[in-house]
Amino acid sequence: MVYLDNNATTAVAPEVLEAMLPWLQGAYHNPSSMYEAAKIPARALDIARGEVAAVLGGVDPREVLFTSCGTESNNAALRGAARANPGRRHLVTTAVEHPAILEVCKAMAREGFELDVLPVDRHGQLDMADLVRALRPGQTLLVTAMHANNETGVIFPIDEIARLVKETDPAILVHTDATQTAGKLPLDLVDHLRNVDLLSFSGHKLHAPKGVGVLFQRKGARVAPYLIGGHQERGLRAGTENVAGVVALGRACALAREHAVDEVRVQALRDHLEREILARTPYALVNGAGAPRLPNTTSFAFHYIEGESILFELDRQGICASSGSACTSGSLEPSHVLRAMSVPRTAAHGSVRLSLSRYTTEADIDHAIAVLPDAVARIRRISPYWDTARGGPRVGAPE
Amino acid sequence: MAWNYSDKTKQLFLDAVQGRPGSHLGEVENPDGLGEHGSIACGDALRFTFRVRRHSTDPLQDVIVEARYLTFGCTSAIAASEALCMLIEQGGVSPVAALRITNDDIVRFLEGLPDQKIHCSVMGAEALAAAVFDWARKRGVDPSLLGVDIQPEEAEEGRLVCTCFNLTEPYLLRKIRELGLRTIPELTAATKAGGACMSCHHAPGGLQDLLDQVWGSQATAEPAAPPAPPAPEGLSPFQFMKRVEQVLDSYVRPMLRADGGDLELVDIKERVVYVRLAGACSTCIGATQTLKLLVERSLKEQVDERARVIAL
Repeated sequence: MVYLDNNATTAVAPEVLEAMLPWLQGAYHNPSSMYEAAKIPARALDIARGEVAAVLGGVDPREVLFTSCGTESNNAALRGAARANPGRRHLVTTAVEHPAILEVCKAMAREGFELDVLPVDRHGQLDMADLVRALRPGQTLLVTAMHANNETGVIFPIDEIARLVKETDPAILVHTDATQTAGKLPLDLVDHLRNVDLLSFSGHKLHAPKGVGVLFQRKGARVAPYLIGGHQERGLRAGTENVAGVVALGRACALAREHAVDEVRVQALRDHLEREILARTPYALVNGAGAPRLPNTTSFAFHYIEGESILFELDRQGICASSGSACTSGSLEPSHVLRAMSVPRTAAHGSVRLSLSRYTTEADIDHAIAVLPDAVARIRRISPYWDTARGGPRVGAPE
Repeated sequence: MAWNYSDKTKQLFLDAVQGRPGSHLGEVENPDGLGEHGSIACGDALRFTFRVRRHSTDPLQDVIVEARYLTFGCTSAIAASEALCMLIEQGGVSPVAALRITNDDIVRFLEGLPDQKIHCSVMGAEALAAAVFDWARKRGVDPSLLGVDIQPEEAEEGRLVCTCFNLTEPYLLRKIRELGLRTIPELTAATKAGGACMSCHHAPGGLQDLLDQVWGSQATAEPAAPPAPPAPEGLSPFQFMKRVEQVLDSYVRPMLRADGGDLELVDIKERVVYVRLAGACSTCIGATQTLKLLVERSLKEQVDERARVIAL
């Protein structure tokens, strides 16, 4: 099986599994307990916290809170900010956020917050003029923009966004969902991301298991605790610690730093894949190709066919991929990301996302190159908009 | 979302994709009946064609001997198209009898479809109806005499209710009755109506009103969405803005233009002025900071001491 869906989740690294197992076997003590045996897991939490602080550019470990997942981190950031700043009732976000942000923002809007959703252009990029026009000094609570998009890999200039926000009004909080970038791009919260107050990510996107996430919360940022009911995480996130998960995440962060150089190889594989697929497939494009992107992500849009049937065909031939097509999302529209980018209507339903990891091999990519163009061609034979003899759209098909 | 398709659905899809002999993928040349339903913007579309063995005297006794489809859509849309053709050919039926094939028959043939995919089977039935209408026109059969309620889609021009999927009031009313749709979610699953922007759900003359019109208002009521939050207000002091523009035009821009650059005024909030460099200056490292200082000093001196500049 060729796994090319690493933006959905990743395999647990063998080193990570090895690091976490002892905490599921013998060393089960509650780190909050008083006896000597409990000091061992407490110490393990400290070490893991240090690893995460290091991957965030060497922040104070006390600024790292462990949560259960990226979605919890996002909810905690937005809800906690609102609770701590009741006088501010305006939010700014972007049209392409993950639902773990967008739906929280919409829920808050239903509860009375005012919400500005920044549009993106056809490359998936923001216009900073839209951002500054949306800001309301003295009223805006928080600006949240993802670091990189899960579907297209397009990277937002979070440093620039944060600078403009802080120059406008230092009391406006800046949050970024770094779920797709942690472990893939440098996250330096001491230097280029110094204006970011809150940052979320999730363990299972960087080869740790599911069930553990991080909220970076800068010292002094006005954010109230989201989960209350315990003194854990210095009272900022109650709940008995997921020791094994946290240790795993610490190990995964250390591995990500060791493997940072692998991203170059991953990008070379991704670029090779894109070139070959585009060369072998007419009427295909890469979503977000005109913007800075994550090294591991490619989102193809194939004109005149529907993405779900492509995925089904890929699955049958041993390739795991995903799609922003309507039929895979349980809704009836192509993904909000592709719509926000105004992907041509003849291709908006025909998207396929392939996302690599450091475990992806050349053979995996060769298999994808061998299979995907054929799958597209076979499904196009079924399409009423495609003329197989001509190798192009049927006469009269929408352009 | 993982696939919850029946084995039958998967098999029909694979037969089509692999072009297995006996699949009904393709098009009948010079068809006796041609019907289309859906569009590329909506995410699925079906082009359905059939050929009949003509009866020498009575067109109503024509028998469909060949049915073919071309489908743009997901796994289940393609399988439903295959199912439709198989049902028709196996039946050895006349075009009029073929109309009795409903979307339920297609769902049964597929051994079930996930709720969100029901519209795939409805699409099949719709394209069939359009094709039969086409046949009736070509064979000189008066459709009103067939004893079946069929009409070409173009005959269903009427007030547009769902603008996202281009669905009209007559079409939706007919589907609500035919398929016994009681709620907005059912209506959306079967026809896609209201499945995108959702603004037609509770609008006057929208989906809920159509459901009420058919079933009465008690049967289908569901809680209305809360009112939208009020529109934001944001005013910049007019005089400040005018003076800033004057200073930029008379003093700052001429300087920048001399070097092939320019400056865009992006926004003003209170006494904060947002500007963006354009032209040659925009690619110059260090220009942003220089510009900020230059513009800020000019504005402080000539407009308001409190003026502050932020460069994008």
